Parts: sequence; C-alpha cells; structure tokens
Amino acid sequence: MKPVAVLGVGAAAPSLRLAAKDVGAAWGSGGGRGSVAVCDADEDTLTLAWRAATAALDAAGIAAADVSGLWWGTARPPFAEGPSHAFLATTLGLERGVGGGLSSGSPHAGMEALIGAWDALAAGHARFALVVTSDALVPGLGTAGETTTGAGAAAVVLGAIAESADGPSTNGSSPAARLVARATRAMPAVDRYRADGDGATGDVYDARLFREEVFVPLLTETGRAVADEAASPLRAWAIADPDGKLASAVAKRLGTPLASAAVYGALGDTGAAAALLGLVHACADNGPDNRPDTGPGSGGLIGAIGYGGGRATAIVVDAVRAVPGAVTVDMLGAGRQVTYAEALRARGQLEPMADPIEMGLPPGGAAFVRGNPEMLGLFGALCQECGTISTPPSIHPTCIGCGGTQLEVVSLARRGRVETFVVNQTMPPPFQAPLPMVVIDLEDGARLMVQGSPADAADLAVGDVVTLSLRRYALERGIPVYGYKAFRVARVGADGEADGGAGSGATVGSGQDPSAKEGGS
Amino acid sequence: MSWNKVAVVGAGLIKMGELFEQSYEQMAAGAFSAALASVDKGLDKSAVDAIIVATQRGSLWGQEGIGGNTVPSAIGLSGVACTRVENACPSGSDAFRIGAMVVASGVHDVVLVIGVEKMRDKSTQEGLLARAAAGHPLYNRGETAPVLFAPFATRHMHEFGTTPEMLASVAVKNHHNGCLDPYAHFQSEITVEQVLASPMVCNPLRLLDCCPQTDGAAAILLTSAERAHEFTDKPVYVAGFGLATDHPYLHEKSSFVGLPATTLASGRAYEMAGVGPRDLDMAEVHDCFTITEILDIEDLGFVEKGKGGPASLEGETALDGRIPVNPSGGLLAKGHPIGATGIAQLTECWWQLREEAGERQVAIRQGFALQHNVGGRGSGVSVVNILTRNR
Repeated sequence: MKPVAVLGVGAAAPSLRLAAKDVGAAWGSGGGRGSVAVCDADEDTLTLAWRAATAALDAAGIAAADVSGLWWGTARPPFAEGPSHAFLATTLGLERGVGGGLSSGSPHAGMEALIGAWDALAAGHARFALVVTSDALVPGLGTAGETTTGAGAAAVVLGAIAESADGPSTNGSSPAARLVARATRAMPAVDRYRADGDGATGDVYDARLFREEVFVPLLTETGRAVADEAASPLRAWAIADPDGKLASAVAKRLGTPLASAAVYGALGDTGAAAALLGLVHACADNGPDNRPDTGPGSGGLIGAIGYGGGRATAIVVDAVRAVPGAVTVDMLGAGRQVTYAEALRARGQLEPMADPIEMGLPPGGAAFVRGNPEMLGLFGALCQECGTISTPPSIHPTCIGCGGTQLEVVSLARRGRVETFVVNQTMPPPFQAPLPMVVIDLEDGARLMVQGSPADAADLAVGDVVTLSLRRYALERGIPVYGYKAFRVARVGADGEADGGAGSGATVGSGQDPSAKEGGS
Repeated sequence: MSWNKVAVVGAGLIKMGELFEQSYEQMAAGAFSAALASVDKGLDKSAVDAIIVATQRGSLWGQEGIGGNTVPSAIGLSGVACTRVENACPSGSDAFRIGAMVVASGVHDVVLVIGVEKMRDKSTQEGLLARAAAGHPLYNRGETAPVLFAPFATRHMHEFGTTPEMLASVAVKNHHNGCLDPYAHFQSEITVEQVLASPMVCNPLRLLDCCPQTDGAAAILLTSAERAHEFTDKPVYVAGFGLATDHPYLHEKSSFVGLPATTLASGRAYEMAGVGPRDLDMAEVHDCFTITEILDIEDLGFVEKGKGGPASLEGETALDGRIPVNPSGGLLAKGHPIGATGIAQLTECWWQLREEAGERQVAIRQGFALQHNVGGRGSGVSVVNILTRNR
C-alpha cells in the first residue's frame, strides 16, 4: 500500500450571503444570527467545484493532463441522473480517459470521494488524484434549513508517494502533508432527506434527538477511532456541522480544539464540502497561539470528520509544512448580502409568471452533443497558416483570418482585456438585467464575446482586465447549460495590470468571483 | 458610366406604424395599390410577371417557414412567379437588387419588388426580445438587437471621443424629418435633452437611440430601361448596387468602429454606378440605432472615419446640409418593418429624385441617391443600391 500525500488544496464560496434574520422576518419568526452562503442564479455545485478544483490544481502545480482520476463528492449533483462527472472533468481539461467517480446522495459523499481517491492511489491504480467536494443545496421554503444551509467547495490534489534513496517524494519534491489515518462508522437514521422529484431538501432534524442520540455519539466514536489510529495527539479538528453547535460539542468530547467553526460562521452548513473546507481552513489557520515556529498553516495532525446519510468518516492529515493553496475562509470573500427575495430568485424558488423564453436549440439536441466539449473546455481553432484563433471550432471549418483549413483545436487563455462591451438592460425572463456582454482580447490573441458580471456593470471600461470563470448560463428545460463568463480583476490603468500576474496590489475583485484572483490559463 | 439597364416606374408604401388593425396580407395589398397608383401612365397589374417579396421574420406573425405564395394571393396575382428573400435587415434592398437582375436578364419584363413585415403581431417579449435566447447558446446568449450595435458605440466613443449628444443629434434630426413625412411612424419633434433622459436600453444606447417596432409594407415596380417610357416620363434608373458579407459573430470582428460589409457593398455599388460619395444628392441609410447612422456615413465615405459624430452634431446630414441623410425620417422615425425597410427607403429616393418629396425635398443637383441597409448576425450583411434620374 503506497503512502499518499496532499500536494495542494483549494476552496471556493458562492457570491451571495443571506442573513438569518431576513429569513426570520419573512416568516414572522426569530430567524437567528449569522448568515449563510447562497449561490447566485448562475452558480451551482458544479461551478463551485470547478473553482475549488482549478485553485487546487494550480496550487499543486499538477497539469490537468497528469490527473489520473477525479473523485467528486456532492450531496446533490447538477444532474440527478446525467453527465455530472463528465461535465466537471471536461471543464477542468482532464483527459477523456480520466478515472474516479461521483459520490452523492448525502453530505457524506465528500468523504467517500476522498476515501475512494486514497484507495486508488494506495493500490497503485493512480498517480495523481483530484478530490472535489462541493454542495449548493436548496432548502425547502419555511424550513429551519433556510437559516443553516450554505454552499461551498473544497478540493484536494493527492499523490502517491514514491520512496527513493533520497527519501519520500511526490512529483519530485518532499510532500507538505500526507494522509495518515481514517475511520468510518455507520448508524442508520433519517435526518436530511429528499425523495425523487422533490425540489428542495427536507429536514427532520430534531435538535435534541439528533444531537444526543445520533450525531454526537456517531461523530465522537468515529473521531476517537481515527485519533487512535493516528497514535499522536491532534492539533485541531475540522468537523461538518448542521447547526453551528454540534461540531464544537463533538470537539469538546474529543478533547481537541475545533478549527472549523469559522467556516460554518461564514458560509453555513456546506454539506459534502464541510469537512474538507474545514481542513483547508485549518491548514491555513495558525490558531490563537499562532505557532510562529513552524510558519503559517503548518502544523502537526489535523483531523476532519464528515457525515451524512447515516455514516461518518474521519481522516487525519499530517502536515510538516504549509500546504500549497491553503486559505482561511475569510480569504474566499465576504460575498454580497442580499434580501430574502433576491436569495429566493437566485435559488430558483421565486420565478416570474411570464414563461421564460426558451433557447433556440434544446440542450439535449445534436448542437449540444457537438458543442458541449468545446463550450465546457473553452476551445478555439488555431490556424496553422496565419495563427488566428477562430472560436468555437465546430462552426469554423475555415479560419476567419485567412480562410485556411489547417486548424488545431486549442484550449483558450482564461484572461484578457475588454475590447468593447455593452450592458443589456432590456431582456425577457429568464434573463436578469443588468447583463454586461463583453468582447475580450485574450492573452493568446483569441477574441471572445461572453457575458460579464452584473457586479461589474456600473463602471466596466474598455481596457479592463478580466478572467473567465465557469458559470451556469441557463437552466434550460431543466438541463443546466455551462459556459464561461468574464469577471474584472483589474481596472484599466491600474498598476501592475500589464504583467499578467494575478493578485497584484492593484487588482480589484468583482465581488462575485474570488476565483478570478487565482488566474491560471 | 452607370449601369442603368433597369428602371423604377412606380413606387409606394403604406403609412408605417403599429398596424394592429391590418393583416400581413392587407398591408401587402395596400403597398401594391400605392405602387400601381404611382405609375404616371398607368400599369395594368396583369403585366406583372414576377414578384420578389422580402419578409425577414415570418415567425413574428405566426407564419414560420412561409414561402413565396402568400403575397401573390393577397394582391390578386395568384399564379405569378414569386420568390421570397430573407437576408436580414437588408432583405428589402436585396429583393430590389435581385429584382433588377431578374429584369436585366430578360427573363421577366415587369417585376414587382415588395417588402412586408409584421413586427407587432407578437408582443415585444415574445418577439424581438426573444432573440436573446436564440443562436449560439453562449456566444449569442443575451444578444437582443441593440447588443449588435452598442459595442460599436462604446468603442467609437473610446477611440474618437464620440459623445452621447452626438448620438442624440441623429435621433433629433431624423425625428424632425419624420414630421415632414406623412408615411412616418413617429411625427413629433424631440430634443437632445429628451434623448439623453430616455431610459437606458443597452448601454450606451437609450430608448430614443433605438428605432421602434413598426408594421409596414412598400412596393416598387421595375421594368427594363428601354420600356420605362411606356409607363412614365420621369423614370429613375438603377445606377448600381452591391452586396457584401462579414463574419456573423461579434467576436469575429476585427474592429468595432466600422462595419466592413457596408464599406465593401458601397465600394461595389459606387464602381458599378461610376460615381463616388461626392456625386450623391442624398442618402437613405440604415439607422436602426443612432450609432448605426454615424458608422454608416463614415463607412459609405460621406465623412472621414471617426468624424461621423461631429458631422451629425453640426448638421452636415440635415435636409439642407452638405449630404442630406434620411430625409424620410429613417428607421428611427419612419420605422423599421424589416422586409419593407429597404423598399421604403428606395421609394423615398424615387420621390426625392423626381422632386416629389414635398416639405422634406432636398436639392437635387447631380441626380444620384444612395440607399443602404446593414444587419443580420454580427451586422454581417450589407446592401447598397444607387439610383439616378440621369440617363
């Protein structure tokens, strides 16, 4: 059995935040404190997964083509039945032969994905594995879940460690962290559930019942088991949390500080993503004592527990130095506070009576069969004669520059400058104004026109620097349609804008998409 | 030397507007009657031996996939050869161009070119705005009609300092001209301030920067130049024409300060007519949005590239300006019933060259008038027709 290293991590949070008190006000109840993260209308579990995965791959320095398998855990994939895994793999540029699988059906899916990847690496079937956990559950209207259900994603790149004369290494260097212990326990009980055809997740969560009889005993037992296996004392726990109270109760029983409370506080219950989001946060968080001796985010053994669907799984990571890509939850952006009505509209629970205008072509039809790979992968056709890139390839059998027919399909750059733009204010449902539409000159010379971010609409300018991020363009006849949208990362004339380097002091976030700062092309 | 093989011997249109009370067929019949009535020496309708009909979007009046048989039936010419042309906003001007070639071929003697468009049998939401969901699912998504032209306004402003006031001056001029045209949809003056205070439709274009949705129809009768005097002593000749295309997606444009299809089409028309922009007495150009007219007058060679805004503001294109543009009120005031638009513009040219345009008559010195449309996906289709009264 090969030992397994953590090579890089990434995380993502959606754009919107909904205050619990606003939910309470709408229903004439107290509502409670804090806020939860909510997906905008063009975000979902897949777009969050894409952002976290892109960040983790960048942090790990692993090329998409070298990933042996994608293990994706999400309680509710974008297609209840359908090509969820294939879509995510294509958007990430993974090879068509990539392995792995999709775990779903409960928030435990996140840990199932991680264990699956670990097993494949340990058995020697994979060299590098991408584990993505994400959730964007839609709570039922008027349920307690409305003030607790959040959204988010975390991703981990794992690699099998090779032992050589120079010591253990992965991808040529000594790993920053490795997986050292795991334990799973089952206890069949119904808590959060959804039947076929239900639009929203239901909840029979009876706080005292589940705390005392299900979660605290199950999670404590699982945590103790994994701690025993790890043999050394843990520095911190990251524990999935349904209500902001359970995780601290479990951590107290386990006798180790809880590092993941800030994640629940910022985003709410992130479901399948919660355990790894907590782990990513814990890797970057020095804790109250700040441990300056070992540097940021270093530090010993960190445990993570995820649960759901009557099961709990815990793992322990041993970090010997800072884990590439680790971020605290506050680094994922504060999001935009929205009213309850705006949140309902974003979640698809408040719709205009007017029938939305249908797409000209059905998403199950031939045009999408032909077009999905190039739309999800963002491809262009590079002319071998004049170097012009025509986009997309399927509608360009000849070069728009010279008419040449020797074309190579290439993946387009993800960053560029605004050549010109409009802000459309007048559209029928399902469109929402203001909708920027932006013509971008990408860094590879391709020119593209895509939708932009409403957050940039007020003062977008020719010359602004934008990056492309995956979003859900439409939910068309029940089928999600994905593509890339432009998000401003620097204003024209800002210092350092021309160096192509993301994250310079002059960059400004769109407020919509922290992934934009991660750059990458 | 102009081409001049074909002559216009009659032309007419119906009052443009939201013609809720008229069917497509009734509009067609009205335009045909007007054209017949305009023939100075009379023309028996049985002489018409071919029809070219322009209708761009049958789907807007519930006639998806229509053919060429609706119009002959509606105007009492069932049985006559009829072909329907659908070529975006230049559909009407292309039908005219094709009609001229048909006459020149000698196969048909008297050709009716007729444009008919029902824009308002569907609500705006279900009609024109619905195109936001048509086309490529990513690269056209959200693309309503103003999105085709607003990016050019943004870039024209960026590169040349063109201002919202300059754009507004186009709307003000064309609404003024529309007040003098009894066929125009709008017959009221507007001010620059009103344009700048109107609601934003698609930045940087405001409501009064946009043409309305208009029902309408227009018709023209063509014969060979040799036969023209059988019907009139004041024929107007087809001096030349040109059609050109450009890539259909906005991201395929090499520049956002001009429309290459217009430049190419007008170059072909000028060459065929043996004239240049300086030889024109007036022009009817495609002003679906104010920025479009500014692009047009540059791309057609009336003013230097980048100078279209100041030229409009300073009145160079007014009725008494150096080159009067859109004396009929243009698409902005007369309206834009797509298939009928080009033929209505040509009808205005016919009136102007015959000096029958009443209060909006411009000075005819050299005897040439130009008509232009541009449109379609990516504004990638343009047609230019040049008429003359000289032979």
